[in-house]
Amino acid sequence: MAIIKPTKRSTIAPPLSETSPVGWMKKHLFSSTLNTLLTFVTLFLIYITVKGLWVWGIADAVWVADSRRECFDISMDGACWAGVIAWLDSIFYGRYPRDELWRINLGILLLFVWMAPLWLPRVKAKIYIGLTTVFLYPFLSGYLFSGGDKGIFMQLMLTAAIVCLAGNTIHATIGVFTGHSLPEFLPRLFGIKDVQEKTLHNMFFTLIAVSFVAVFMWQMGWGVEKIPWTKWGGLFLTLVISGVGIASALPGGIILALGRRSKMPVVRVLSTSFIELFRSVPLITVLFMATTMFPLFLPEGFVLNKLVQVIIAVCLFNACYLAEVVRGGLQTIPKGQFEGAHTVGLGYWQTMSFIIMPQALKHMIPNIVGNFISLLKDTTLVSIIGLFDVLGMLRSISKDLPWLGLHREPLIFGAILFFLICFVMSKYSRHLEAKLSTEHKN
Amino acid sequence: MTAAKTQNTREQLTSAASTEVIIEFNRVNKWYGDFHVLKDIDLTVHQGERIVVCGPSGSGKSTLIRCINKLEEHQKGSIVVDGITLNKNLKNIDHIRTEVGMVFQNFNLFPHLTILENLTLGPKWARKMTKADAQANAMVYLERVKISEQADKFPDQLSGGQQQRVAIARSLCMNPKIMLFDEPTSALDPEMIKEVLDVMIELADTGMTMIVVTHEMGFAKTIADRVIFMDHGNIVEENEPGKFFNNPRHERTKLFLSQIL
Ligand SMILES: Nc1ncnc2c1ncn2[C@@H]1O[C@H](COP(=O)(O)OP(=O)(O)OP(=O)(O)O)[C@@H](O)[C@H]1O
Ligand SMILES: [Mg+2]
Repeated sequence: MAIIKPTKRSTIAPPLSETSPVGWMKKHLFSSTLNTLLTFVTLFLIYITVKGLWVWGIADAVWVADSRRECFDISMDGACWAGVIAWLDSIFYGRYPRDELWRINLGILLLFVWMAPLWLPRVKAKIYIGLTTVFLYPFLSGYLFSGGDKGIFMQLMLTAAIVCLAGNTIHATIGVFTGHSLPEFLPRLFGIKDVQEKTLHNMFFTLIAVSFVAVFMWQMGWGVEKIPWTKWGGLFLTLVISGVGIASALPGGIILALGRRSKMPVVRVLSTSFIELFRSVPLITVLFMATTMFPLFLPEGFVLNKLVQVIIAVCLFNACYLAEVVRGGLQTIPKGQFEGAHTVGLGYWQTMSFIIMPQALKHMIPNIVGNFISLLKDTTLVSIIGLFDVLGMLRSISKDLPWLGLHREPLIFGAILFFLICFVMSKYSRHLEAKLSTEHKN
Repeated sequence: MTAAKTQNTREQLTSAASTEVIIEFNRVNKWYGDFHVLKDIDLTVHQGERIVVCGPSGSGKSTLIRCINKLEEHQKGSIVVDGITLNKNLKNIDHIRTEVGMVFQNFNLFPHLTILENLTLGPKWARKMTKADAQANAMVYLERVKISEQADKFPDQLSGGQQQRVAIARSLCMNPKIMLFDEPTSALDPEMIKEVLDVMIELADTGMTMIVVTHEMGFAKTIADRVIFMDHGNIVEENEPGKFFNNPRHERTKLFLSQIL
């Protein structure tokens, strides 16, 4: 590859249109009479819309009032944001007891703490951090959010999650400052040098075991009050449903996609029919089926609450959509990669996890994020079957006595909320894509 | 005169392999759908033997060697590699995979991994080496193919010739008993062919069992113990290089040689 050095100074200046804003406008907005006309018409339309919105939503709007009547008294044709503000807590948290909101906030904070190492430089073993997020964080937050008595299983998983969170955080801190992983760093702490890889592992696992026991003893001493799922709601509920959906849809999708490509006919036919069945039915139907049909299949006396049913339905539905995305991604990987892996002795699962998936996932990112965005938006359908997610909450404002008939403002607020979340997600996916595609090309 | 002659035969004896059979094809047949690619192939390869396979495009050369490491499955006849009969038994496949290395026309390196990672992945997972051992092992082989200074680069930052040498090193890292080469130089620019052939000649000197599909006849003359000519799924002619090139027995071989030499 030849390296072409840019010459220091080009002798001919680039044409005006390429550099100055005036030049750009001339070229793109006023190139012909028609174009000029269109430009002015568009500008005028934008002006009217923005001005209308500004006057209604900001200039004439009412921010502080106790009821819709009061809003009207203050300003006849301005927005009544006071209603939205009064309901803000409910929009975010539903009917979750106000004294316990810290649990939700802590849960969200812990998620960020857990995932932060993924974005930090020099941290090793990010794959494991990602995996633990998917498999252990749900137990930690699940207990925080719902509380009540911990069964033995919950106690074990909760302990595992806490140990893992602590381990991750320490590991990441060490990584950022020294570039080592936690197991590599351990012997230095005791001033030992040149240890065998085996000893390293032993030390590391001893440490884990000891902290596991310690944390287990500690967690037996406390608990949080039970909060029934019926009190969950608002944006919190939306994020719980779509978060679980997102976290499980990708692994589920990968398994289904591999099943569909499997050489074993039974596995292939089962995966294919499962995928096609769910993909040919609208989500709302799946939701209704889940809440009315699941109970019929369950053994007597075994009750699944509606939230769990909904979450299972959302997970299956999205796993099927992602399965097709994954299948598309797998098809972009040339056969030679499988053969290369075969010749260095890698088995099926090793080939898939070290060679094929890492390459395929890179191609799939835009589609995966696109799926996640539509999952987040589709989750609002649960308000139809009686869960009070963010949309349900926004709509119940208009039924609250002081704010009777207040439809427009809550819905606009909801639109802004969704736009912000989805926009950030799609921007981030662009960034991720660009980063991954240039990562090793210096 | 006679002394020179015995000297000559002795040299051939040392270069020719031990008597231990490492690959044995017995009336092997293979079809792709209705298409009969391999027809009653009989072939015996001894340990340490270097075999060059040539023949026109579509004659089944690739298919033949890909059957040896189970990249392709044969339908009739038997193939025994390193004492193991190839069949559907998964354990056997695992074993064969680690004992037989293969180098492809278009390298098939893993583009998302560095050169070093490309070389350590197999030993770590299939040979259960520790990371440090696998890395040390990889550096030895990178040294041998003369690109140890590129260890931390990614495959697409190397030239074709360098990539192919990495691919050879990657296979050698598994410490295989047999190396298969499927047209290792035909995707390369002419000026890079030599560097790859040099590495292969050095490998031949170490006594590795090699089966090479190639049209580089100079190379065949230098290292081959035997040259095999294939056409339409048959092994048409099989001989030591001197006789093969100087007086081929079959018309089809003559025609083929006249086209490529
Ligand atoms: N997967 C496949 N499915 C169907 N036919 C195949 C397949 N692979 C190869 N063939 C056919 O089998 C025949 C032999 O293929 P093979 O690749 O072994 O030939 P080759 O001698 O290596 O040729 P070349 O010099 O072009 O590499 C060809 O006619 C090819 O079209
Ligand atoms: Mg071929």
